[in-house]
Amino acid sequence: MRSIVQAEWRRSLILAARYPMETLSSILTMFLVFAGLFYGASYITDSPIGAGRLATIVVGYAVWMTMMSATGDMGWSVQNEAQNGTLEQVMMVPRGAVWVFLVRALMAIVVFLIPLVMVVCAMIALTGVGFVWRLEALEPFLMTLITAWGLGLLVAGIALIFKRIGQVLNIVQFLLLFVIMIPLGHDPGWLWHILAVLLPFTAQVALLRHVLQTTAPVPPSLWLSAGFNMIIWMLTGVMGFIGAERFVRRRGTLGHY
Amino acid sequence: MVILDVLNLSKTFPTRMGPRRAVQDVTFSIARGEVLAFLGPNGAGKTTTIKMSAGLIRPDAGKVRIGGIDLWQHHDPAVQQMGAVLEGSRNLYWRMTVMENLLYWGAMRGITGKAAKSRAEELLDRVGLGDRARSLVQSLSRGMQQKAALCQALMTSPQVLLLDEPTLGLDYEAAASIKSLVRELAQQGTAILLTTHQLDIAQELSDRIAIIRQGQLVLQGTTSEVLQQYSQPLFAIEGAEPWPLEILERVRGVPGSIQMIDPLTLLFVPEAADMAGIYDLIAALTPHPIARIQRHQADLSEVVQKVLTEGVTA
Repeated sequence: MRSIVQAEWRRSLILAARYPMETLSSILTMFLVFAGLFYGASYITDSPIGAGRLATIVVGYAVWMTMMSATGDMGWSVQNEAQNGTLEQVMMVPRGAVWVFLVRALMAIVVFLIPLVMVVCAMIALTGVGFVWRLEALEPFLMTLITAWGLGLLVAGIALIFKRIGQVLNIVQFLLLFVIMIPLGHDPGWLWHILAVLLPFTAQVALLRHVLQTTAPVPPSLWLSAGFNMIIWMLTGVMGFIGAERFVRRRGTLGHY
Repeated sequence: MVILDVLNLSKTFPTRMGPRRAVQDVTFSIARGEVLAFLGPNGAGKTTTIKMSAGLIRPDAGKVRIGGIDLWQHHDPAVQQMGAVLEGSRNLYWRMTVMENLLYWGAMRGITGKAAKSRAEELLDRVGLGDRARSLVQSLSRGMQQKAALCQALMTSPQVLLLDEPTLGLDYEAAASIKSLVRELAQQGTAILLTTHQLDIAQELSDRIAIIRQGQLVLQGTTSEVLQQYSQPLFAIEGAEPWPLEILERVRGVPGSIQMIDPLTLLFVPEAADMAGIYDLIAALTPHPIARIQRHQADLSEVVQKVLTEGVTA
């Protein structure tokens, strides 16, 4: 497993360095988006925006971007492998493709987060806005990320079967937006708990919001819902991917594109 | 010692027109250091069989054992002993260099660090790509890409090598280089399953052949035996000068049939396929000068054509 991690880390760096314009453009886009967030929020509301509120906006957006990336990375990776004619070699790797794509997703997030953190730090330095990152937010963030990988494995499974997933990802992203925006987080009742257990991200985002916006202790039920949901989605993703892998091996369509 | 054991493989694919039997009850084995040429027309089931042997297509029935390990029950240790270069796939990342690719695919199979680097260098030197290690795969010629793909498959020194059309689209020099590498690998003990439409290459490289038609194996045997079996008891005798009439009259008494193809060449089929009949014929031809006597020796293209068109089985 260590050798797969090393190989994927190396590959991510090689590809990022090989096409510097592509890498620089994505960093620049990120910079412009965050500049828009930092300056635009005050401009639109026509009043100085508080540091706490800005932190919530910036972190919320960064989490959103990370989730989108984690959800789509594995699916895109499968599609690209199929398109480039390397998918069959990946499927012959002894450890199993599910590990390869999970490690690849982990590396993609690391490569994605490094410039993101750098850009946010640069914005803080430029604007002078006080920005306090609460370490307690790390756990909910990791839970969100693992849930996103679970969902990402499901998308990758769909990519294994159908090969082209651009439109599927668009639909998934809209559904995720809907799921995250469900305004039930302020008054958790029985309906919320059912949804929090079933829908991806609802519980984790509510947990993240709670940690970022208040200093009140997190209700244990919220931790439980978020943890349970994360496990459910990761297991669903792994089983969905393995099921799709078995399906394409039975149908003989693994190398098709 | 058998390294690759393929037992009673069958596969049916669902299609819009109903189920299509791609492979039916295919059985063969390859020993250490042996090259099996798996031949047949397009759509006969070659690629399906090779992909089932690689674990990429799950058979409906049958088993694949690699070094005695069941591929579908113990996938990881079984595939660890196998390398494959598949036709229609690139097998390598085109946006990475040759060396980066070899190190990547080596690491994915558990070979890292200095061991991986020295193995990659050794393989690249062996195929003459030592000076192209830092070149992007997309910048290489088709022959070089194929050699690099072969190196990728060999990073872990696999016991079994699956080669699906390894010389397709290559020029003479590149094909010769791949051939010599395959020969060398077999000498070192690798069991090689080779599919190709280039029958001269198959004849040159294989120890055994298997011919598949409509998903069923119709012929299997050692290459030399099969060629011998399909060779006809027929001699071509070429005179140094045109054959005179009196000699032609004289040879009519020799048991067998004689046909004159042109003023210089006679075709002789001994009676009851008794090959010793050639000595009677030579005696009858004496003292006319003979330039050449050649016994018919079938080549693989004749065998395959005969098996596929006439349905001859052995």
